[in-house]
Amino acid sequence: MKLFTIALIALLFMVHQDFWWWDDSTVVLGFLPVGLASQMVITLGAGIGWWLATEYCWPKQLDDSPIDESKKESER
Amino acid sequence: MTPLTIIVLYLCLLLGVAVLSNVFLKKTAGDFFLASRSIGPFMLFMSLFGTTMTAFSLTGSSGFTFKNGIVTYGLMGSWSALVHPLIFFLVGAKVWALGKRHGYLTQLSYLRDRYQSSFLTLLLFPLLVGFIMLYVLMGAIGAGSALQGIAGLEYKWGVALVSSVVLVYVFFGGMRGTAWANTMQTLVFLIMGAVAFVVIVSDLGGPQEATRQVIEHANAEVAKRAVRTDFNKGVFASYCLIPISVGMFPHLFQHWLTAKKASNFKLSVAAFPFCILILWAPCVLIGMWATASLPLEVPGNEVLPRMVSAHAGNVLSGLIGAGILAAMMSSMDSQFLCLGSMFTNDFYLHFIAKDRPSERSVVWMGRMFVISIVVATYFIALYCPKKSVFGLGVWCFTGFTSLFPILVGGLYWKRSNKYGAIASVVVVACMWLYYIDRALEPGGFLLLGVLPVVLMLAASTLAFVVASLVTPPPDEAHIAKFFAPGPG
Repeated sequence: MKLFTIALIALLFMVHQDFWWWDDSTVVLGFLPVGLASQMVITLGAGIGWWLATEYCWPKQLDDSPIDESKKESER
Repeated sequence: MTPLTIIVLYLCLLLGVAVLSNVFLKKTAGDFFLASRSIGPFMLFMSLFGTTMTAFSLTGSSGFTFKNGIVTYGLMGSWSALVHPLIFFLVGAKVWALGKRHGYLTQLSYLRDRYQSSFLTLLLFPLLVGFIMLYVLMGAIGAGSALQGIAGLEYKWGVALVSSVVLVYVFFGGMRGTAWANTMQTLVFLIMGAVAFVVIVSDLGGPQEATRQVIEHANAEVAKRAVRTDFNKGVFASYCLIPISVGMFPHLFQHWLTAKKASNFKLSVAAFPFCILILWAPCVLIGMWATASLPLEVPGNEVLPRMVSAHAGNVLSGLIGAGILAAMMSSMDSQFLCLGSMFTNDFYLHFIAKDRPSERSVVWMGRMFVISIVVATYFIALYCPKKSVFGLGVWCFTGFTSLFPILVGGLYWKRSNKYGAIASVVVVACMWLYYIDRALEPGGFLLLGVLPVVLMLAASTLAFVVASLVTPPPDEAHIAKFFAPGPG
């Protein structure tokens, strides 16, 4: 699943360049230019991809980070 | 009830939130600047989203769409949806762990410690203040234009009113007040953005009718540009570097440090793209539809306010105006707070007041510095009301992105050292200042056919890597502090 998530996000980065509807004036749903609609779908894909990343790729050890007691906040 | 009355009532409500949060404020620098690292996932997300979405996202996006068409969404909206969560994931959570471990209050305190160089702080401090001033300027111009367009308030009074309100609530509530206010403001601008969209689209006769009017525009070239991506392909691709700037925003860095635990970042990573869609898509559509209803010579910054006042009644205009201001203020507050904390912690305490003054006087020194920066920005805003918010934003973000290698290198590359970081900062400072005049001209400029950020980031990375490799590596014991099991 980790590999799938990384592949999905990488794919979204690539398709963002819009190889299909670059100079297409087609309107979908009667009001949405296809170039804009495709970018909105990429955004939705990003939401799904990043949600998967938090589920399957999250570095769990971060919360266990020890605190350096010798350093008070105000000393920095 | 006039739009101005509603907006003033909203500003009073914000001040009320600040007074309330002041009740919970502990009188320590750690609480004032970082809310004692106690922020939960929802408030963290609202703060990060509110701080990142600015005048650039509202008046900037609709204005740029009005001039350049729907490509605006691909340039900034969807790139941000991909890149911002990546930065939070790879940099934000790791920075939080190091901040908690070593007690950092600011971005500069981390960089100074990581690279063992006070000189680096001295170089970076004025540069970051300059970048943030440009960012504040963007908010001030956006707020002044919005208040003028929606409420009829003279531009100079609009800028002064919004700046003063933000100053007061930041000073009252510190980071806790800012986080509370940001949460409220983010909800307000998301909800009012949706309301504005529905009201405008209904008044235009529905989405199909609004788009039909654009397609049938008397000027065929304008119609074509409005509904097609059709843009310089190299520039379109190079826009992916602009959202990397969030990784180097000092005010966002400070918000990262406020989280109670690292897993609180998960909501921000996952929900960010959805909220970008909710905010950016309606603004871009309104900008596109404005092509058919506003004269083409209208300045970009005035497109959204004009559409709101033309298509919504008085009460709704006031509420939507409050929503637009909320988006701008939710960034300005974090920037003001960050300027104060950088000045006190990284400049005043580090270089001037070596005998530790009281916590109270530290906070007051920060406030005085912020007031002086805000006053300076106010006067600059008075002289350039017509500067494109989008253009200002892109140049400001270019500077931050170009500095990103020193942050990410510090987190992931053990061999990186202070010489590399200093070389990188010098390169960025020279290039950013050298090109600033050209960058702020209408339409901006390109270097070798791509956005200047590409070459600036490449030059800064090259300087960072080469200078790090040809100079002695950092001390191993010191590096172990940052790469020991736990955060790394």
